[in-house]
Amino acid sequence: MEGGGNTTTKGSGLGGLFGAGGAGYSHADLAGVPLTGMSPLSPYLNLDPKYLVQDTDEFILPTGANKTRGRFELAFFTIGGCCMTGAAFGALNGLRLGLKETQNMAWSKPRNVQILNMVTRQGALWANTLGSLALLYSAFGVVIEKTRGAEDDLNTIAAGTLTGMLYKSTGGVRGIARGGIAGLTLTGLYALYNNWEHMKGSIARQSL
Amino acid sequence: MEEYAREPCPWRIVDDCGGAFTMGAIGGGIFQAIKGFRNSPVGVNHRLRGSLAAVKTRAPQLGGSFAVWGGLFSMIDCSMVRMRGKEDPWNSITSGALTGAILAARNGPVAMVGSAAMGGILLALIEGAGILLTRFASAQFQNGKESSVQQHKAFVVQCLLMYPALLWSKLSPPLISFQVCKKSKQSCT
Repeated sequence: MEGGGNTTTKGSGLGGLFGAGGAGYSHADLAGVPLTGMSPLSPYLNLDPKYLVQDTDEFILPTGANKTRGRFELAFFTIGGCCMTGAAFGALNGLRLGLKETQNMAWSKPRNVQILNMVTRQGALWANTLGSLALLYSAFGVVIEKTRGAEDDLNTIAAGTLTGMLYKSTGGVRGIARGGIAGLTLTGLYALYNNWEHMKGSIARQSL
Repeated sequence: MEEYAREPCPWRIVDDCGGAFTMGAIGGGIFQAIKGFRNSPVGVNHRLRGSLAAVKTRAPQLGGSFAVWGGLFSMIDCSMVRMRGKEDPWNSITSGALTGAILAARNGPVAMVGSAAMGGILLALIEGAGILLTRFASAQFQNGKESSVQQHKAFVVQCLLMYPALLWSKLSPPLISFQVCKKSKQSCT
């Protein structure tokens, strides 16, 4: 896949070098193999080179370990990341608001204090909001993962939707619906983004 | 939760921040649920509603101040790991003390010293308990296979120890009073 068509000349050269020249393989077949570093495709390799294309990472794992980290291991990181991001953006927003609100004041100590107050308050507010959203999301994610026993993007989307619904649950049915839709959209986009490479890859392979 | 290994250093800050936020938000949620329930007017409906309102407003706040604590602690911890080139209990103790001092900075030098002492002692207790526990556990399992299990257990117990201590210190203002409550001077509620 990655090798594209640029390896045809190389492949033929190597085939000529090794003399034997992969018996059953046309150059088009050989062309699909990425030639990396010191071990190009051997003509003695008794395999359809298409199977050698790797599009997933492969790691050696201790027995019993999962391939990816579970949601629980990632939960704290997610929450912390959201909290810190929220603090940063909230501080920026606070700066903006503070500057806007004290526009016609002279540059003086009270103005600084006011802006600073705005920054800290907005920073804390955003950090708390985003942090609790992430907390809810992670909690739902872990629960769904454990109950389903499977881990895929469905979990992400379900957890996001539930989070939105719960977060807006005091706002009546309409609020719940709105929150749910917001959560669904955001996590759906995230899942799409996460799978973008994969999807592109599968489309490319179908056309291959 | 098969095995909980701590993250390597710069990422540990984020991780600790999140862990602290979780602890604070959940602990604060439970605490505020009970408090809101009891402080509301008579009638189950009113009480539940009051409890919900209290949780909604206060739990994220407590989570946030815990997160500040955890993040600051871990930042200092990581800086010390970097500067001293080793990881040992002294790092945590020092960073606990420094965190306490920094967060009490607005309340004057006396409060800073007291807060630093409390933070250091708290972290020393926790680290000491962790070490004792690891010793105890390693006496039980002689073969090295169990080491990750031991560490995991030690970590869990450390968290369990740290939790009520932090919660207590948060809910009783003098130790780590971060809230900007200078104006009313007496309570941060």
